[in-house]
Amino acid sequence: MLDRGLVEEVLAVARTRGGAFAEVFVEETTSTSIRLDDGKVEELTTGLDRGAGVRVTQGTSYGYAFSNRLDRDALLQAADAASAALRAGEPGAVLDLRTLEGPLTNAVDRAADSVPAADKVAWLRELDVAARAVSPEVVQVVGVYGDSLQRRLIATSDGRWVEEDRPRIRIVSQVVAKRGDTIQTGFHGPAACAGVEFIDGHTPQATARTAAERAVTMLDSVPAPAGEMTVVLAPGMGGVLFHEAVGHPLEADAIDKEASVYRGLIGTKCASDLINGVDDATIANGWGSFTFDDEGTPAQRTVLFTDGVLQGFLYDRLRAEKDGVESTGNGRRQSYASPPVVRMTNTNILNGTSTPQQILADTPSGVYVTALGGGQVNPATGDFVFGVSEGYMIENGEATTPVRGANLIGRAIEVMSAVDAVADDFGTWEGVCGKDGQNAPVGSGSPTLRISKITVGGTSA
Amino acid sequence: MPDLGELVRAAAGAAEADEAVEAYAQESRQTEASALRGEVEGLEFAESRGVGVRLIRDGRLGYAYAADPSVEEVKVAVARARENAALTEPDEFNLLPSAEPITAIPALFREDSAEVATGDKVQMALDLERRLVTSDPRVTKVDLAQVGDAVSRVAIASTAGVDAEYARTDAWVVAVTLAVEGDETQTGFSYRIARALDELGPESIADEAIERAVRMLGATKPATAKVPVVLDQFAAEEFLGVLASALNAENVLKGRSLFADMVGGEVGSELFTLVDDGTILDGPGAAPFDGEGVPSGRTELFTAGTLNGFLHDTYTAARMGGGQRSTGNAKRGSYKGSPGVGTSNFYLDNGSTSFDELLRQAEGGVLIADVSGVHSGANPISGEFSVGATGLRIEGGALGEPLREMTIASTLPQMLAGITGLGDDLRFFSSVGTPSVLIGEMTLAGV
Repeated sequence: MLDRGLVEEVLAVARTRGGAFAEVFVEETTSTSIRLDDGKVEELTTGLDRGAGVRVTQGTSYGYAFSNRLDRDALLQAADAASAALRAGEPGAVLDLRTLEGPLTNAVDRAADSVPAADKVAWLRELDVAARAVSPEVVQVVGVYGDSLQRRLIATSDGRWVEEDRPRIRIVSQVVAKRGDTIQTGFHGPAACAGVEFIDGHTPQATARTAAERAVTMLDSVPAPAGEMTVVLAPGMGGVLFHEAVGHPLEADAIDKEASVYRGLIGTKCASDLINGVDDATIANGWGSFTFDDEGTPAQRTVLFTDGVLQGFLYDRLRAEKDGVESTGNGRRQSYASPPVVRMTNTNILNGTSTPQQILADTPSGVYVTALGGGQVNPATGDFVFGVSEGYMIENGEATTPVRGANLIGRAIEVMSAVDAVADDFGTWEGVCGKDGQNAPVGSGSPTLRISKITVGGTSA
Repeated sequence: MPDLGELVRAAAGAAEADEAVEAYAQESRQTEASALRGEVEGLEFAESRGVGVRLIRDGRLGYAYAADPSVEEVKVAVARARENAALTEPDEFNLLPSAEPITAIPALFREDSAEVATGDKVQMALDLERRLVTSDPRVTKVDLAQVGDAVSRVAIASTAGVDAEYARTDAWVVAVTLAVEGDETQTGFSYRIARALDELGPESIADEAIERAVRMLGATKPATAKVPVVLDQFAAEEFLGVLASALNAENVLKGRSLFADMVGGEVGSELFTLVDDGTILDGPGAAPFDGEGVPSGRTELFTAGTLNGFLHDTYTAARMGGGQRSTGNAKRGSYKGSPGVGTSNFYLDNGSTSFDELLRQAEGGVLIADVSGVHSGANPISGEFSVGATGLRIEGGALGEPLREMTIASTLPQMLAGITGLGDDLRFFSSVGTPSVLIGEMTLAGV
């Protein structure tokens, strides 16, 4: 994307005021987005975005500047601006740039740009028809298809030269169902870092049906109970909770700022024996997968918990250097417009030995959560909250009446310690995680699991 | 480098016969400095520029954008938008607004703020952090101490005769503190967005972030109960976002708003008057025109509890019919997307009751100081919500013990009808403003 000589020159300018290292991140992204709403394919947008960001660091301090332009003047200006964040020091060296290669994590069978836009439009029409076919109570359908290809180049003053193409694809179905005055919604949005072959396994019809059935089912729902109770989480949902409540406080920037409940707890037991958790960027075609992170560190699988004992934190380069450890490959950024932040990739709770049938049968009463709408955590206190978008009462070991308006609230360590059953039916959920004003695709995964006691917020006191 | 006006006019000029073309260009220069442990934590410079092209042909809509394009690349974007339009379905309400007289708001651009040196901004962040960690012995660390500003320009031109530009400055301060006592940590948060760096008042934001952390130390989980609730401005602001979505005419037209059939009805308490006004400078949502060149205006969505109507852009107004006009609420996240209905300065009109009197009226209840999970826990279509909350018990007309790990749940209509008091303390944080709100009774779930 850029000439090596120019990149070396940019790095040299970035190093003129010293600092520990300098880095250039260049990106060119093409994207297609199609939206169907109200029975019509109402918009098709294509875009070309490109730019380069230069970062200069000293300890955990950094300067960052970017430009939309990739010409020499603009890049040198960005390098100068980034280095100006440092107090004046001696110019630093730029080592010879060596190309790093790694195993291809996100193989593509059929590239998105090999398929005409008209075919993609047709998928959304199929989605609309399939959702409406589920029930006459389906009154509104939104379908969104998106694909993008991000071409990246990362070069660092300590000699890394990494090029990687990252393909993304997603199909989303959002359905509104109505009966009398009751309105409910359903959402399903599978995604991957893959080509359009992904659609073969996640058809528009299947996506539509999942969302539509969710919305229609919820028409029969009653207000959720409030108070402390047992909660069973369906496959994938435990991963969403693990990401939010546990993963964020394990990110090394939170640890460094002493803003994490897990600080100082490596080697101690702070979850149930049944919890084995990892962050894994090497999963083939995972929504949070890559070959190299956005600092040019090879992707890896990082063990977070073994039998409930905390094993380690998630690191980018800056915090790793400060703590005298290796980066775990968790430096990620939304685009060239932002410096990397420490963040998760695919964060999973691994399979246990129970079966989902056993777990439900062994639960006399509680709530069975089959879809979460998203959540939020305060890493410093561990307090978290999640909206439940699809849930059922559990009565005498069976999922019965659907419930609405529920949320789950708790504290990370207490709730993870209260997990008393983990099944063997691992599943995933693809989301978009927001942190420090940047969004990034993340995968979450888990089997069915049970929390013996957690606060459920609902309107039925 | 071509100027923005030249780029957008080139796009409009590339229209073929029977095509409506609109181009929107945006450029911004942003600086953001944060401090940690007495040092610069980060200093970020961002300069971006781009053009988005909306093209309508036979009622079909296509969109394409390009980052920092040349005049030639803008013409390529027009061609791409044309290809895209050929694949979408016609909609008779896809129209571009015709040009209307626009009143400039020169006060949006503070030239002196645009010229503040980077070093001064860095010093503001360092001073902010020092004040945060030296004012209270329990607060010795920060999660975030940040000062930033931006200078931006917008230009828009269309084949319908729109040709307008404006410039603006914005500045912001954010403080997140950590208060520690024994094994316990609590966080406190405050921020302000203003027109210029010298309007930020970082000291008061720092003091508020400290106070909001320290007063939560020792928080316990309350018992589940139905109690009177005072939402402070931070908490009330979160709910206004959900209301904004339900008052968006596009959601109304497409069956995604609980308010769809309620125009003319008494939905809220008579204290509830809700306004969107893009012409006032109190909030950062002010602009002379919206995302498709329609002049900004004032829309009273609720008057004394009665729903008057919704927020519109050109598309929703045409589709609603009955003489409905755009309310000047076409918004764009950036040049990368076509406009959709959004708020400008969106606020709950001020009340007349002092905050202390609200507390007296809520005896035995709870002040909610922070809510979380609103984006996932509140449903603008069904109106139901259940969100996480922290706050303080109200005892003897004053704030008492801190409470955490609780949830509040209700429905939007119940909450709006249940407003029994409104503070005289209207405050704009971002483009959303609200006073403190007393609600007669809400379900509060804890143990």
